[in-house]
Amino acid sequence: MNEKSVEHVVTAPPPEAAEADPAGADRNPVKMRTRGVNVHYAEKHALRDVSLDIGEREVTALIGPSGCGKSTFLRCLNRMNDTIDICRVTGRLELDGQDIYADSVDVVQLRASIGMVFQKPNPFPKSIFDNVAYGPRVHGLVADRADLEQLVEQSLRKAGLFDEVKDRFGDPGTSLSGGQQQRLCIARAIAVGPEVILMDEPCSSLDPIATARIEELIDELRQNYTIVIVTHSMQQAARVSQKTAFFHLGDLIEQGETPQIFTNPRDEKTQGYITGRFG
Amino acid sequence: MNYGAILAALLVLTVLGFYLGRGRARAAAGRGQSRLHSLPGYYGAHVAIWMALPAFTLFVFWISFQGAIVEGIVWNGLPDRVTVLGETKPRDALPAEQKQLLINNIRNYATGDVVSGDVTALMKQGAAQYLRLEALSSWILAAAMAILAAVGLLLTYRSIAPTMRARVRVERVALLLLMVASTIAILTTVGIVLSLLFEALAFFTKVSPVDFLFGLEWSPQTAIREDQVGASGAFGAIPVFAGTMLITVIAMVVAVPVGLFAAIYLSEYASRRVRAAVKPVLEVLAGIPTVVYGFFAALTVAPMIRDAGAAVGLSVASESALAAGLIMGIMIIPFVSSLSDDIINAVPQALRDGSYGLGATRSETIRQVVLPAALPGIVGAVLLAVSRAIGETMIVVMAAGLSAKLTVNPFDAVTTVTVQIVTNLTGDPEFDSPKTLSAFALGLALFLVTLCLNVIALKVVQKYREKYD
Repeated sequence: MNEKSVEHVVTAPPPEAAEADPAGADRNPVKMRTRGVNVHYAEKHALRDVSLDIGEREVTALIGPSGCGKSTFLRCLNRMNDTIDICRVTGRLELDGQDIYADSVDVVQLRASIGMVFQKPNPFPKSIFDNVAYGPRVHGLVADRADLEQLVEQSLRKAGLFDEVKDRFGDPGTSLSGGQQQRLCIARAIAVGPEVILMDEPCSSLDPIATARIEELIDELRQNYTIVIVTHSMQQAARVSQKTAFFHLGDLIEQGETPQIFTNPRDEKTQGYITGRFG
Repeated sequence: MNYGAILAALLVLTVLGFYLGRGRARAAAGRGQSRLHSLPGYYGAHVAIWMALPAFTLFVFWISFQGAIVEGIVWNGLPDRVTVLGETKPRDALPAEQKQLLINNIRNYATGDVVSGDVTALMKQGAAQYLRLEALSSWILAAAMAILAAVGLLLTYRSIAPTMRARVRVERVALLLLMVASTIAILTTVGIVLSLLFEALAFFTKVSPVDFLFGLEWSPQTAIREDQVGASGAFGAIPVFAGTMLITVIAMVVAVPVGLFAAIYLSEYASRRVRAAVKPVLEVLAGIPTVVYGFFAALTVAPMIRDAGAAVGLSVASESALAAGLIMGIMIIPFVSSLSDDIINAVPQALRDGSYGLGATRSETIRQVVLPAALPGIVGAVLLAVSRAIGETMIVVMAAGLSAKLTVNPFDAVTTVTVQIVTNLTGDPEFDSPKTLSAFALGLALFLVTLCLNVIALKVVQKYREKYD
């Protein structure tokens, strides 16, 4: 695993996280910080005053019933909501202490640092190789073909897909199975060298075996990346995450260590949701 | 008896039959022995179908053949010696065209149409007979239809029982009707192709197909008398097709970039309000009659181009290929843009999100993700536009020339396949001269070209569709 290829696109100031102690998960420094985030879709108030800290190199799960605003919140973190005309985001969102909604921030660079994996695998109608090479090419990350090939191979290895596709880089990305497609999308996100990876229900369209593979992968990726995952499966949240945040009707109800949320929730709404009484 | 009245009566009877059948089905259900197999309406429809369908089929056949039969009877009822065009001859010895003339006159007199020549006693006699027979025929028809409807009503009405599968039977008839409808469309196409084919074959007996397909000279005037000047009669189609190609290429050079970019702007950049305003306006272009484009090209654009050319020292024909091609291109813009717009919109938003999520800009996303994904569909749209341009007639009739010149110079006057078809068939043509028949050969060739283009386009579009299903 080559750290260099990941680090050399980082735009934010050198992360102090490098010196952080990776062992103590609950003592991880804050990678992303949000304070009083409100989101409106035209008249609809979709998120109210969300303040959440996302720790570096750990997995934060966002759970809650459908329509609770967890996906909306996730899309605020890399400004994907910018592409929606009627969406208005207020409040403060920071990456490494820098306001990501500041005028001086280049959205293109921001999204290079904060990658995203979507609910449904969405490989481009290109070859497997070109799918992974897309980001590095767009950002001009590599000097020549050899570098590019190396980067693509590394990314596929990190996504645990390399051995399955090494003989057919030229095949269309859409020819892979659903689980492979999703790992291809993860490889595609990794290739740009992000620090944070956002995952929006990445397993909701996959079968249990493919889901298990992705969950293992998330656990491995945690060594190097900060991960935020939206999920409808509470078992999944319990399995892969260290921190959990529970959303309900646009409010952040409760956040904390995953074991604490699942065994000893403070709020009765959280209690109701994780025990399956609603949602 | 009036045919409209017959059909109206049948309709009324059928509606009655429907209510009768439904009522009986309800009554059968009401007795409560067992549940009806189908909804009562299906029993009504079953009765109605068997009343209307056989009677209506009889009606259609009757009126298609009654004319010939009535004429035959009238003809045989005429005296043995008849007077046509002032000559009296034995009826059986009349030449075919004189016999036809006499029959036409009798029929026209009977229906109050104009007859050729003076009305003779013979015509009056025939016409009276004709009218008598026609009235008789319509009464027989009405009676036969009534009997058919009654038989249909009786049989189906009596068969109504809870166990009868009325729904299945009605649906089978519905399927049959749908198949008949699609068969009519196909048969019409076949008929058109066959008529083209036979006329074209007649042409190829006069002009060799090799000369037609590979000849470099097109000059369809054939001599009426031996020593006529300027009657070369050359039927080499290459210059005509070259002209079509030249104008089509010019049209596509205009329509494809403009249409495609407009589609990209509308589907990717324009806000909802702009889109709602611009798209209908763009589609107004498609609503302009081609004849209006035609005189715009001929009277406004062509002289403009000629004057502009003269200003920079170019010699431009007043009926330049450029003028016709430009205007045709403008006509095709909405065609290209609205097809491409649909295709670009069909590219899943997830792909765009994926690209944005990797930090690609909007134009990078369009160039590297959206357009490649939409490309097969866009190629299909362009091919459809090409076949439209090739077949376009009115603009080129008005704005392109008539002289078949083998050239690629857009400032020259060229002629097109469609223009030649129009000029060779309009006016007062003789239907056995190669000049007239050449129109059919051209039409056949044009049909084959556009058919191939359409097939390729549909294949390409289909392949594109499979990708996201």
